[in-house]
Amino acid sequence: MRILRITCLLLLATSLLTACTEVRPWQRGNFARVEMQWQTDPLESALNDHIFFSKEASSGGNSAAGGGCGCN
Amino acid sequence: MKISRSRTLLALSTTALALPGIARADAPPVESTLSYKISNYKEDDLSRSEVLFGDLDRYDIDVHQFQLITPVGRNMALRIEANYESLSGASPWFTLAGSNGKPVVSLSGASGIRDRRSEISVGASYYLENGSISGNIGYSEEDDYRAVYAGLSGERHFNNDNTTLSAGFSYSSDDISPTDAKLFNRVTDEHKNSASAYFSVSQLINQVSSIQSGFSITEQSGFLSDPYKLRDVRPEDKTQFAWTTSYRRFFTTADGALHINYRLYHDDFGVSSHTLDTAWHQNIGGSYRLIPAVRYYSQSAADFFTNIDDFTQPLTAPQSSDYRLSAFGAISGSISLVADFGKWTATLTAERYVAREKYSAYEVSQPSTALVAYKRVSFGIDYSF
Repeated sequence: MRILRITCLLLLATSLLTACTEVRPWQRGNFARVEMQWQTDPLESALNDHIFFSKEASSGGNSAAGGGCGCN
Repeated sequence: MKISRSRTLLALSTTALALPGIARADAPPVESTLSYKISNYKEDDLSRSEVLFGDLDRYDIDVHQFQLITPVGRNMALRIEANYESLSGASPWFTLAGSNGKPVVSLSGASGIRDRRSEISVGASYYLENGSISGNIGYSEEDDYRAVYAGLSGERHFNNDNTTLSAGFSYSSDDISPTDAKLFNRVTDEHKNSASAYFSVSQLINQVSSIQSGFSITEQSGFLSDPYKLRDVRPEDKTQFAWTTSYRRFFTTADGALHINYRLYHDDFGVSSHTLDTAWHQNIGGSYRLIPAVRYYSQSAADFFTNIDDFTQPLTAPQSSDYRLSAFGAISGSISLVADFGKWTATLTAERYVAREKYSAYEVSQPSTALVAYKRVSFGIDYSF
């Protein structure tokens, strides 16, 4: 079951990547919008990461871990 | 009209070129931004039927966050962050079997816990023609916990800047010195180290959507147990793996953006988890943005989790009744309103989080007591100058 899930996710990611078309610099206006950033509010993201780190067993992903705290 | 549209397009393209991860070349910020956010986090009280004795009040935490980002010269940016937290409330101490055989918990302290956490970190980024290099150092201090950490990361653009590769490494050295150690026969001075590395790829899919996928590995060693629990013995090494995929799509007609993030996690304590969160960023007029968001999380239990502490086991046998190591699911929802007044931006956020055994996507063989539910309200303000 786990292998099936991972395979499906990889296939989804691969299909999205293979569907890419080159985006020229003058076509990137939408990516300048704040709502299209990976992190639209760094303080909000940092706070959420800190709360979930202290209340759940999981952490990590697209960045390296920072300092620990007594909360976990 | 044609000239006006072209100017708008040129302005947007120019702005895009200045954005990390999107630009042809990263560029340092052209102005300084000072940010402050205040938050209140309040956990729901436990019901009397769940608690053997002790307080019912759980954590109530006020958080203050500060951040300054400022350009230094032509190719550098400096980032200073400071956080201050003050908390009060009670935390699970141990669990026993109740009269019906179900676990009941005792919360620590007749008057609860009071603590403060202060943290400061300083970082700098150096911008190259096709990427950037960043580093940071930080220090966090509580009454009973100190952490010193440092990180280094970099990113590079390829494929006519449609693709960005990022990688980073961080290290943290933490000292643990529990309060009232002699009174409660706790450990006195312990230490743990954490080393973490990540790698990610970002790709523009077309003019309105992009995807990012990253993998991180974290290695922890040393004292990983909870010193405040009556019986909590965990292995002294833990390796964590996380794979995250994020997707962004802008809908021109609706003038809004869809965010989807998914994370698959596993560690050698035996915990696996799925996290899926989505948000919709709706622009309203030229100055406001409304952001409803939903998050689902579910984890399996650690191999050594027990919902009722077994005091007959040897002191060296791994076991923990920490609800954070149990199998559970959690659903949270939030809504944010962002008001942009030019140099000033204000953000108001309200969030509700509820963890329940019945929300779990994994089998729950030992339901835990004291799963958390909380409310959070935040107000943030940014000023650019």
